[in-house]
Amino acid sequence: MVTDADERLSRVSGKAIVMVVDRDPHIRELEAHFLEQAGYSILFAGDGDAALVRARSAVPDIVITEILVPRLDGLALCRQLKLDPRTREASVLVFSILAAAGRAREAGADAFLLKPLAEHALIETVRQLLEQRTTRLRSTR
Amino acid sequence: MSDVAPIQEAFSIKRIVTGSRELDEILGGGVPENSINIIMGEPGSGKTALAEELVFANAGDERRPSLYLTTLSEPVNKVIKYLQQFQFFDMNKIGGAVRYEELGAELAANGIAALLPKLKEVIKTLSPKIIVIDSFKAIHDLASSVQEMRLMLYEVGGLLSAYDTTVFLIGEYRHEDIATFPEFAVADGIIELARNVHGSRDERILRVFKLRGSAYRQGAHAFDITSAGLKVYPRLVSPVEAAFYKRDATRATSGIPGLDSMLAGGFWTGSATLLAGPTGSGKTTASIQFILEGLRLGEQCLLVNFQENPTQLAHQVEQIGGKLDDIVRGRLKLLYYSAVELSIDKIIVSIFQVLRKTPIRRIVIDAIGDLAIAAGDATRMHDYLYALVQHFSVMGVSSVFTMETDPPLMSSDENHGRLSHMTDNIIFLDIRATNGIVGRTLRIAKARGIAHDLQSREVQIDAAGVHIVERRE
Repeated sequence: MVTDADERLSRVSGKAIVMVVDRDPHIRELEAHFLEQAGYSILFAGDGDAALVRARSAVPDIVITEILVPRLDGLALCRQLKLDPRTREASVLVFSILAAAGRAREAGADAFLLKPLAEHALIETVRQLLEQRTTRLRSTR
Repeated sequence: MSDVAPIQEAFSIKRIVTGSRELDEILGGGVPENSINIIMGEPGSGKTALAEELVFANAGDERRPSLYLTTLSEPVNKVIKYLQQFQFFDMNKIGGAVRYEELGAELAANGIAALLPKLKEVIKTLSPKIIVIDSFKAIHDLASSVQEMRLMLYEVGGLLSAYDTTVFLIGEYRHEDIATFPEFAVADGIIELARNVHGSRDERILRVFKLRGSAYRQGAHAFDITSAGLKVYPRLVSPVEAAFYKRDATRATSGIPGLDSMLAGGFWTGSATLLAGPTGSGKTTASIQFILEGLRLGEQCLLVNFQENPTQLAHQVEQIGGKLDDIVRGRLKLLYYSAVELSIDKIIVSIFQVLRKTPIRRIVIDAIGDLAIAAGDATRMHDYLYALVQHFSVMGVSSVFTMETDPPLMSSDENHGRLSHMTDNIIFLDIRATNGIVGRTLRIAKARGIAHDLQSREVQIDAAGVHIVERRE
């Protein structure tokens, strides 16, 4: 898990920052392992409120969230991230046990994946979202 | 949402194959992915053979291998040694798409607490698509308390559900363990392998007790362990079309002179007929005539027999005037089984294999009593017979079943009450002595949807077979 100092280092080193919002410790551990292996820096949040606060300060490149998280659910979190000027550039991947691709789309998510965790699909989706985000940011500058 | 990122709209269960097409059929298409399954049974019941078969059946991608973890029952070397006798074994897959690892030493040193870190390690390093733990019962036996086992299962169940893998826990569990051992509560699927003892004959059977998120075929299914793996014979159930199929409005003539006129033209095509009577009453002869009539009309026919081998049967057919030239032989399929050696499931699977390959229009099963021996018990035999008749009807296959009865039979229709609702037609053949003169008779007890002749009629059997004797005016 990265600290604020790590985040600054990640920016310098060019590592993309991925925030994982999930209360399942096994999912968090496995996602962190596979994403770190793929070269990303990982932040964690166990509920939607904490994720929103952390995202405003750390400004992750991608937020991967389960829908079923405490306090603020993953879809509400997605809507808030997309409304807030500080976080709206973050790509949101809804990664859930619920087959809710349509609802994720309505909430403004950039992608949806159904659990369980399949690392190749997860990493490929993260890679595509980062590419897409880079293209989008370049075109707006 | 992005036009490049994957979108998964609907929740649908993907399945993995077991290596046995028939077992996949029983499981509704295979084992649901990302599930935890228990394969249970006594030692020698075929658990490891099934697990090995499904491991190799799913070994395609080296990036997502099948992982076989042995615990404290058998070392890896022993498992692999015996595995090599199976045709599905592929040396080239070992170490790549199929991985073997031992967990015994870690379990011996750290008890059941060794399992969770080992599973995390193999998930992170191997990305296994399938994980087999053989034996999981050995891990259960290491637990010092139910609480310890439950806590371990909570963690392991959570980990295995979080990751995209399908798990098979193998164990020498007894049937009563299902209600008390916590691993059965965690399991999404439970498959039991067992043996039924019929006299001096053992019959291997397989049962599915649970399969979350999937329909499956209930009941006992026979199976064999062959060099090709498990050969499963799914229990026959009635076809779903049975409730609404359209019956053929044509007649299937019987081939027995005089009988068709008693039936206003013959049996309905696709109907099932029971020919019942004591030994020597002419059942087998009459049933062969039914087949010969079909051959005469250019139909493909199947004769299933449990007493006489194909050579003896062909001889019998020719004795009653059947001309078995090459063309006719091509249209007549003969199946012979020893009912003493075979289970009813195997016989029925063989019959349907013929029906799938050949457009059979008529079938004779001679005799039901032999099927009963193969079934092991009367209820099972009746269930199978009912389903068999339904399948034949839906397929438009006209069928005749012979049944030997204790003499004298004709007055004891109630003995056949259970059979009467299964077949469309019931014909009794009998041998009677009147004033010292012995003669044969035939009576139509039932002919569904046919205005039939109810009278008992004299029959004779000669070189041409069974025929109804013309009434003297």
